[in-house]
Amino acid sequence: MKVPRISPVFVLLVFFAFPALVHATRIGDVTDLDWSEQTFRFLSLRDAAVRNAVLGSVFMGVSCGLFGGYVVARRLALFGDTLSHAVLPGVALGFLWSRTKDPVAIFVGATVAGLLGTVVVAWIRKTTRVKEDSALGLVLSGFYAVGICILTVIQEMEFGNQSGIDKFLFGQAAALSSADVSLMGAVAIGTLMMVTLFNKELLVTSFDEGFARSVGIPVEFMRYVLLVGLTFAVVTSLQAVGVVLVSALLITPAATAYLLTDRMGTLLLLSALFGVAGGLLGSYGSFLGNNLPTGPFMVLACTSFFVVAFFCGPKHGLISKWLRRRNRVRQVSFENTMKAAYQVLEAGDFSKESVTVGALAARRRTSVAEARREADDLVKAGFASMLGSDDDGPRYSQDARLSLTPAGWERACQIVRNHRLWELYLTNEARYAADHVHEDAEKIEHVLGEKVVRHLERILKDPRRDPHGSVIPSLEDIERGAGLSTNPASATGYFRQN
Amino acid sequence: MVHIPPPLEIHDLTVSYDRKPVLYGVDVVVEAGSLVGVVGPNGAGKSTLIKTIMGIVQPNGGWVKIFGQPYRKAVTRVGYVPQRESVDWDFPVSVMDVVLMGRYGHAGLMRRVSKRDRRIASECLEKVNMQPFSDRQIGNLSGGQQQRVFLARALAQESDLYLMDEPFAGVDAATETAIVELLRDLKERGKTLIVVHHDLSSAREYFDKLMLLNMRLVAYGEMEETFTPDLLQKTYGGRLTILSDVAGQAAGRSEFEEEGNPKL
Amino acid sequence: MREEFFPTFDYGSVFVDPWWSGFESTFQVVLMGFFVCLACGVIGNFVVARRLALVGDAISHSLLPGIAIAFVFTSSRSLPAMLIGAAVAGVLTTVLIELIHRKSRVKPDAAIGIVFTTLFAVGVVIISIWLDNVHLDADCVLYGEIGLVPLRESFILGGANLGPLPIATMGAVALLDILLVIVFYRVLLVTSFDAGLARSLGMPVNTTHYGLMIALALTIVAAFEAVGVVLVVAMLIFPAVTAGFFFERLPALLFGVAPLSLAYSLGGFHLAKWLDCSIAGAMVVTAGALFVVAWFFGPKGGLVYRSRALGFLFTASKQKISPQIVG
Repeated sequence: MKVPRISPVFVLLVFFAFPALVHATRIGDVTDLDWSEQTFRFLSLRDAAVRNAVLGSVFMGVSCGLFGGYVVARRLALFGDTLSHAVLPGVALGFLWSRTKDPVAIFVGATVAGLLGTVVVAWIRKTTRVKEDSALGLVLSGFYAVGICILTVIQEMEFGNQSGIDKFLFGQAAALSSADVSLMGAVAIGTLMMVTLFNKELLVTSFDEGFARSVGIPVEFMRYVLLVGLTFAVVTSLQAVGVVLVSALLITPAATAYLLTDRMGTLLLLSALFGVAGGLLGSYGSFLGNNLPTGPFMVLACTSFFVVAFFCGPKHGLISKWLRRRNRVRQVSFENTMKAAYQVLEAGDFSKESVTVGALAARRRTSVAEARREADDLVKAGFASMLGSDDDGPRYSQDARLSLTPAGWERACQIVRNHRLWELYLTNEARYAADHVHEDAEKIEHVLGEKVVRHLERILKDPRRDPHGSVIPSLEDIERGAGLSTNPASATGYFRQN
Repeated sequence: MVHIPPPLEIHDLTVSYDRKPVLYGVDVVVEAGSLVGVVGPNGAGKSTLIKTIMGIVQPNGGWVKIFGQPYRKAVTRVGYVPQRESVDWDFPVSVMDVVLMGRYGHAGLMRRVSKRDRRIASECLEKVNMQPFSDRQIGNLSGGQQQRVFLARALAQESDLYLMDEPFAGVDAATETAIVELLRDLKERGKTLIVVHHDLSSAREYFDKLMLLNMRLVAYGEMEETFTPDLLQKTYGGRLTILSDVAGQAAGRSEFEEEGNPKL
Repeated sequence: MREEFFPTFDYGSVFVDPWWSGFESTFQVVLMGFFVCLACGVIGNFVVARRLALVGDAISHSLLPGIAIAFVFTSSRSLPAMLIGAAVAGVLTTVLIELIHRKSRVKPDAAIGIVFTTLFAVGVVIISIWLDNVHLDADCVLYGEIGLVPLRESFILGGANLGPLPIATMGAVALLDILLVIVFYRVLLVTSFDAGLARSLGMPVNTTHYGLMIALALTIVAAFEAVGVVLVVAMLIFPAVTAGFFFERLPALLFGVAPLSLAYSLGGFHLAKWLDCSIAGAMVVTAGALFVVAWFFGPKGGLVYRSRALGFLFTASKQKISPQIVG
């Protein structure tokens, strides 16, 4: 027996390692084909079935991905799910009518059933007190049940056995005929055209219907276009993904794109890309696994993209957010240390150019070791330098001296100024008691931008002292990067108006 | 002298939704027997204040004490009248069922509703003139009637502190008068009432005290002290926009500061 | 092999024969259907009242990998294993949905869609790879095999044969659901109607929610084999909504579940006998038909009563109700 090798799918489905592993064993056990041979067969597009599957997946990815963008943006995800279940009786009836798997008959039947389902949802909502979720649930399960009844009857009928009608439940891309694929291609092209033609209209309608109406966009018509198009996309994708999972192809690629971009145009593009990639990987995965149902594999491929974007997306990914947050925490810690250094200097009337770690520790109310660590961090970040070398004394001596660099001095002044301005604003303008404002200013000082500060200064008429009587460092001090002058008059704005 | 804890004490309360601050550093103590109107512009955090007091919304900072205890312990002493839109009026319950819900706190969760509970509920409905409607499904009532059902339910709770979220919103004139009478009556009986109100012009006659709220507590006190052009301008005017903008940035970050750098 | 979609309707073979010649299995199938509808309907009333219908749908799909993995490990329909698997999957679903919509900008509806389709896909993959030749068929997941229930091994308790195991289990779950609803009726009522009030009365709102979700998961697992994951949603929603056209108070809605369940079960069974189709599907079709009837003719909010054209016929019984919102 052959030792199963790890398939590339494994890498993709790393978050779903369990089924993927199982999958690998299965190939080794059951088929005699090596996964690389299978891959070659798949990639070379030699077989017509593979060609159809690949083309079908591409078309499906495009149409589902594009419509999915609107579905997610308009929060219609669960409506999409309902629609995809509601088409089942149409599929079954189309099959029953044509007595073969005729794509056109099935397409017509499914479209009619899907639209009927949405009409019934709207009708229930309009005429009863039934809430939206229940109305969707009623149509979803009711229509689906009718479909199941007809399907089970068909399976008993003589033409039902070889029909492959059961492929509609979980999808089988390899069973796509060229007629199916042409239909999918037509829908994909139609979708592309619709999105380009009605780009602005769809965008405005999705965002704000009231406004869209006011600028003369035919909102009802756009909704209708979207609905019909969505139905077409769902119906043509059925054979590849199956009734139950087609909603994932609408939701997941678009949600992935939604994590990566803030623009609707980019969102649609990415969504279609993820749809295509998910479809291809899914049909490849199912092909490797000896033609297992395609739908679940496509869904898992799409979900793996989503998981990656969820964690690693540059803007909204969890990891990036965590990094940014950590950076800010570090920044705040720097700023607090520099502020403490400033305050120590200020307490000595700026007569010294450096502060001892011991004084810093006392100011920050921490241990000397902790203050030393913070000082070292500052030095590393280029905001300060240690005077003398470490050889002068023990590593954690409280007499080690720290001196702010010009950059450090500038930032320290800014922070102190922010803090004191804010305290003054709260007491003078917002009428807070002077002893209530410190804690607030401790937070605000780190986020005040230069623009807000200027504005505050204007409101407060270029103040010089905070509510506690301390001097507010002036803009000139900061811009001069003056620092470390022994002359208090030049180091603060205290005498600046003289 | 024995110290009696005030019905409501709020200290440095900060609440934000999705990182946008709604309330910021609110400090207030409400004395027993007050009839307080909470006013402020839209989005000032009035409802949020009530919901935070009720423990429905979790604050990011600060605390609330009710009769000197955390909310969970004092829960039976608080009556709550939510905004009318906050519940589903198609819900399959009758007017009587809703008012009886007010008695559940007293009845204990497993015990049957007693005759006495029914009598009290019925009396409360009488007080708001809704007795004839007691068997109606609640969806078949007008807005004012629905509001009166809520008030009857709050009465049935027999609480000492009442929190009401916009009880005057969308009600007819008759209901409005009825509600005002009811508020006065409750106050006479030594209850404390905190009522969110959207209409500044009527606030003056309806309440004894005013809480001016615009993300921050602008002022709290007797009507004549707080209903001044200066303070109202401050509450409704745009003068404190920097305050809200900046507080927005700060509250958005407060969360990481707490977990990241406890020294701040 | 059959030619016609609609076989000729023969009263005897559809209604009499099943009871006359195969009483035991007929009775068992109908009883199972009744229990399924009863348990789902009772829980479903609260699911509908809390607007969780589609969350119920999501949970029913998401339980599949749990059930499938339990199958793989025990290689049998071991009930405890299935319950544990389903419970884990159920909790995982809720946690994942929360995680996605709290920690990213994806909206709750999309989060639900992503989670349940993914978990369902995992379940289908496991089943089609490992369990295809065991007694769990991927299609069966979708519409159940209630007709095979009488063939299952019997549940023997203290020497008494309590019928096939699935029926005994389903009956126990239905009983449990009913007991839970009776005991916690007030908490369920108030938390569903007005969570704010529930909190002010000191009721455990979150615990109640999760308790309800666990009861829901339990019910779905027990019903899964009979009606499949999609149709179980119908059993949750249809009774509550249909009864809502006749009654306006929750206790009445809850009592209404029993006759509806009987109707669904009997109607579905005989419809399936006539058409020779899936019994579970036919039960839901019956439920759908009854819903449509209620929708048109229900005295509370039915179309006929609302319609102006037909209104004059009912003016005597109908009282115009004051407008919903004043000023």
